[in-house]
Amino acid sequence: MYCVRNVTDDIYWIGANDHRTHLFENIHPIPQGVSYNCYVLLDEKTAMFDTIEWGQGRQMMSNLEHVLDGRDLDYLVVNHLEPDHAASTGLILSRYPNVKVISSEKCFMLMHQFGFDVDAHEQIQVKEGDTFSFGKHTVTFVEAPMVHWPEVMVTFDLTEGVLFSADAFGGFIANDGKLWSTDVDWKANNLDEIRRYHCNIVGKYGPHVQLLLGKAATILDKIKIVCPLHGLIYHADDDLMTYIDKLNHWSSYTPEEKGVLIAYASMYGNTESAAQALASAICEKGFTNVKVCDISETHVSYLIADVFKYSHLVLASPTYNLNIYPVMENFLNEMRMLNMQNRHVAIIENGSWAITSGDLMQEFLEDEMKDMTVMNERISIASSLSGDKKRDVDDMAQAIIDSMEEVTCDPAKRFEKKQH
Amino acid sequence: MVRPMTGFWSSKKQKKSAPPSDKGAARPVKPVEPDREPAPAADEGEDVAKEPAHLKAEAAAPAAEDAPQRVEEPAAPAPTPVQNASQKETKEEFGMLYQTTEAHEKLRAEVRAFAESEIAPIAFQLDQQNEFPTEAVKGYGTHGWMGIPYPKEYSGAGLDVLSYAIAVEELSRVDGGAGVILSAHTSLGTFPIAEFGNEEQKRKYLVPLCTGEHIGAFGLTEENAGSDASGTQTTAVDKGDHWLLNGSKIFITNAPKADTYVVFASTAPELGNHGISAFIVEKGWDGFTFGEHYDKMGIRSSSTAELIFNNVKVPKENLLGEEGKGFKIAMATLDGGRIGIAAQALGIAQGAYEKALAYARERIQFNSPIGTNQGISFKLADMATKIRAARFLVYSAAECKQNHVPRYGREAAMAKLYASDIALEVVNDALQIHGGSGFIKGMEVERAYRDAKITTIYEGTNEVQRIVIASYELGRLGKKKETGKKAAKALFGPVMPATGPRKLKIFNDADQQANVDAVVAALKADGYDFSVGIPADTPIVDAERVVSAGKGIGDKENMKLIEDLAQAAGAAIGSSRPVAETLKYVPLNRYVGMSGQKFKGNLYVACGISGAKQHLKGIKDASTIVAINTNAGAPIFKNCDYGIVGDVNEVLPLLTKAFGTEEKQPAGEMVKIKRPHMPKPDPIGPTMVCSGCGYEYVPELGDAEAEIVPGTLFSELPSDWVCPECAEPKDNFVDRTHLGL
Repeated sequence: MYCVRNVTDDIYWIGANDHRTHLFENIHPIPQGVSYNCYVLLDEKTAMFDTIEWGQGRQMMSNLEHVLDGRDLDYLVVNHLEPDHAASTGLILSRYPNVKVISSEKCFMLMHQFGFDVDAHEQIQVKEGDTFSFGKHTVTFVEAPMVHWPEVMVTFDLTEGVLFSADAFGGFIANDGKLWSTDVDWKANNLDEIRRYHCNIVGKYGPHVQLLLGKAATILDKIKIVCPLHGLIYHADDDLMTYIDKLNHWSSYTPEEKGVLIAYASMYGNTESAAQALASAICEKGFTNVKVCDISETHVSYLIADVFKYSHLVLASPTYNLNIYPVMENFLNEMRMLNMQNRHVAIIENGSWAITSGDLMQEFLEDEMKDMTVMNERISIASSLSGDKKRDVDDMAQAIIDSMEEVTCDPAKRFEKKQH
Repeated sequence: MVRPMTGFWSSKKQKKSAPPSDKGAARPVKPVEPDREPAPAADEGEDVAKEPAHLKAEAAAPAAEDAPQRVEEPAAPAPTPVQNASQKETKEEFGMLYQTTEAHEKLRAEVRAFAESEIAPIAFQLDQQNEFPTEAVKGYGTHGWMGIPYPKEYSGAGLDVLSYAIAVEELSRVDGGAGVILSAHTSLGTFPIAEFGNEEQKRKYLVPLCTGEHIGAFGLTEENAGSDASGTQTTAVDKGDHWLLNGSKIFITNAPKADTYVVFASTAPELGNHGISAFIVEKGWDGFTFGEHYDKMGIRSSSTAELIFNNVKVPKENLLGEEGKGFKIAMATLDGGRIGIAAQALGIAQGAYEKALAYARERIQFNSPIGTNQGISFKLADMATKIRAARFLVYSAAECKQNHVPRYGREAAMAKLYASDIALEVVNDALQIHGGSGFIKGMEVERAYRDAKITTIYEGTNEVQRIVIASYELGRLGKKKETGKKAAKALFGPVMPATGPRKLKIFNDADQQANVDAVVAALKADGYDFSVGIPADTPIVDAERVVSAGKGIGDKENMKLIEDLAQAAGAAIGSSRPVAETLKYVPLNRYVGMSGQKFKGNLYVACGISGAKQHLKGIKDASTIVAINTNAGAPIFKNCDYGIVGDVNEVLPLLTKAFGTEEKQPAGEMVKIKRPHMPKPDPIGPTMVCSGCGYEYVPELGDAEAEIVPGTLFSELPSDWVCPECAEPKDNFVDRTHLGL
């Protein structure tokens, strides 16, 4: 059964909702599913904007055939070649032998690498600033390198102000019929999963998201609707600026809010006890925006999302075979790979005979990551936190609260020189 | 690499037969340049064939051994000047005579006569009394020897580098100190201005240096910077209309006699060698003082002292060369300076040899001169051979410099290395030939023995000369390339004070009361409570606060100032090592330092302590270090949280009063006070992110595979450089700090 929704009179959403995939990219859990969005334009010519993941190809075809209602498909615009969007390209190419493919140079290169028989079709290679008319609708192409692949472009329909934004503005959670951001309370219910999507998928490429935001800013008054490849679509006059503000924070590695994520690893509960004591001490002093996570029990994609959100991070780790506890080491490495930067970090270390995890974590934060402020206060636990260390816990709590003053949540001030 | 070899080193035969090179320069003579420019096989054969004839011709010179001046080959009869030789087109065998010109020998004779009449008679006195030959040095000037290799338009003599080397050699032949005065003046103090100065600077400084009205000196070496200039801690801060110079230099030849100093200071400490700039500094400027004249083992007639810069205002126009190019200037200067030291070593050896030769003829044992003993005569033969070899190296290096032979630093280093190494051997043998007489003060060989030693040390130790030579020979094999973030941290990371991260707030107001008030206010803001205190005899390791006295405290009665301050600060009393060990003002167990007691408490007040390494390491754990010292360049100020530049006699009573002299309440259990964050170094340039793959170009790291050295800015990358990961061109990168909105 087809399942489509109108975006404008001429443009249709013909994507699919996926609840059967448990791990997005085979890494990130998606308990609330994900949607793959693609769109079709009915004009003097017909044009499709991207396709979807292979597993949902049948749904897309039935949607497309319904909307075309017997017309041929004249053009396929490919903005992004990652298989969650482009895997069904082959299906379109074989089903519509006359379809002409519009895409970027690097995208065509990748099509060949992924094995799509694109050479049997007319190929229209476009670059930044080119325009193309389908009749009433004229579109222009804007390159968006490394958001989050090199071939990516976004397509802007100059006629109706619709931006096909590829993975930018995407998010987890399947749409399940609700298409517009106004159909849900997205800030309350979807934002965490939008953040988790963006930070884990695009997080590393902040400067390139900024580059794209800069380009978008020049046509901001012309953008009416944003159609990403995952999740909800946005009216410009509704929630778009809120989303842009979030993107601006994430891509400049500016915390969204002053708050503390206490991420602990604990083998037998002793490190956990210290983490909890610290959380209590911070709250006791009146600062309650504190989140505590057992990292052995929390998928790292959630931790990453929270690190992007909060200004402060406390890492509490046992020493394990003279090293950082492996789960903590993995978390650190994920942060490094995603280019996480500009956070205050306090360290709690534990060990029963040779405590090394604190120094190793500090070395990693200082040498492998950028602009991380490792606080002088460190809690060093010999097996379990004894009562006489209460002072250390209070000192760290106070230092964390005091250092909130050093933090800015304004992306415009992100790269201002800090006064020490 | 065709090296233009003009003048008398060139073989006429080769000039004629050599194939024309692209630059039209003559091919170098084979024996001089065996590795760089192999001559055709036929030429080589001819060279070898001609060698004996040439040697014979040379051997004729010392035949005049019984002439009044019995010296080696520079002796009379005057060698055939090259001009004459070159005119004899038909006598090709003379074309390869390695000889000086008539003019060179005339100059040699003049300098020698001057040295023997003006310096030799007082040399022993100069040595004994550590005395600078002021009158003689004036004489250098009146004879026109203070600017030998510099153009006449700046009052130089307009002669060649070899003439200068001969002058140094001849002075050193009589007195090593007299020689180095001219060497340091000419190649270290004057050369940088002649070579890198602008017209105005040359008019102002070069002219009086060349006339001898002024003496020049060169300030590079520091406590932590010698062969490795990147450790330079003297700083020059841009203050708009002037540079503010602070720091100190050690072992400076000609200080404090010199009038003009070329001083190297860091204008951008984070850039290491690339942040060093050169300045012309005049004696007499406010804040520019000298340490004690060193009590040296040898060359005692040359003056050597420490330079101390305490807020010295250097006018903008006294920046020498470009900002940040100081390292290049220093290296270029040292390349040439080595020729001077080589000539000095040669002269010392020559002088000692002549004395030994004379002694071997005069001293009779077993009814004949000891020179008839093979044990002695063979020594003399070896000495003469070594000196001759050294002389060729020195003169050749001087010629290379004169003719701007590229990379002549190799020849200069070889000359310095060899001449100084053999100088030690020659003076040792010369003293040995003298037997017990040579061991007595007043004997020239005894002085030469001591004078020679420095030549293997200064202007680059001979170990460093070998590094230089090897690097020319091997190319840039260098060390295994250090890459990665750790290497970058070592290269570009901040210089961590020996005491760890410190606030480094120095109060240098003219009003000491204001300085004291500022420090006490800062301490109170840090959490110090001066209504409580600990007994003055609390063991250092247990003390929460210590007031410590250094040598700067002066006389013993000034310890009262320390006692009063300790009482007011609620602190125990400590000291630096010399105060306990040498001056014995306090018991030995009160001195603080790595070798003494370690201080682990909160507040450490260092009074008149300059900050020796071992002392600084002993106060690493202090939460707060306060320093009071008259010398703004003292290391303690680079290791403290709060510093007051001033006299302890003035500052300590003010501090005592500010802390309060009332009876202190007993302090409770010590609470450690927090330490400051170590600020991270600013990046040297933008990190750029590839738009083809996300690779980051970090200038501190460079790109080892593309042979881009660490420290190369993105803008400095060659235009054909591409992303090492995905081959994206250079123009497709974005600054990591780019903000789009």
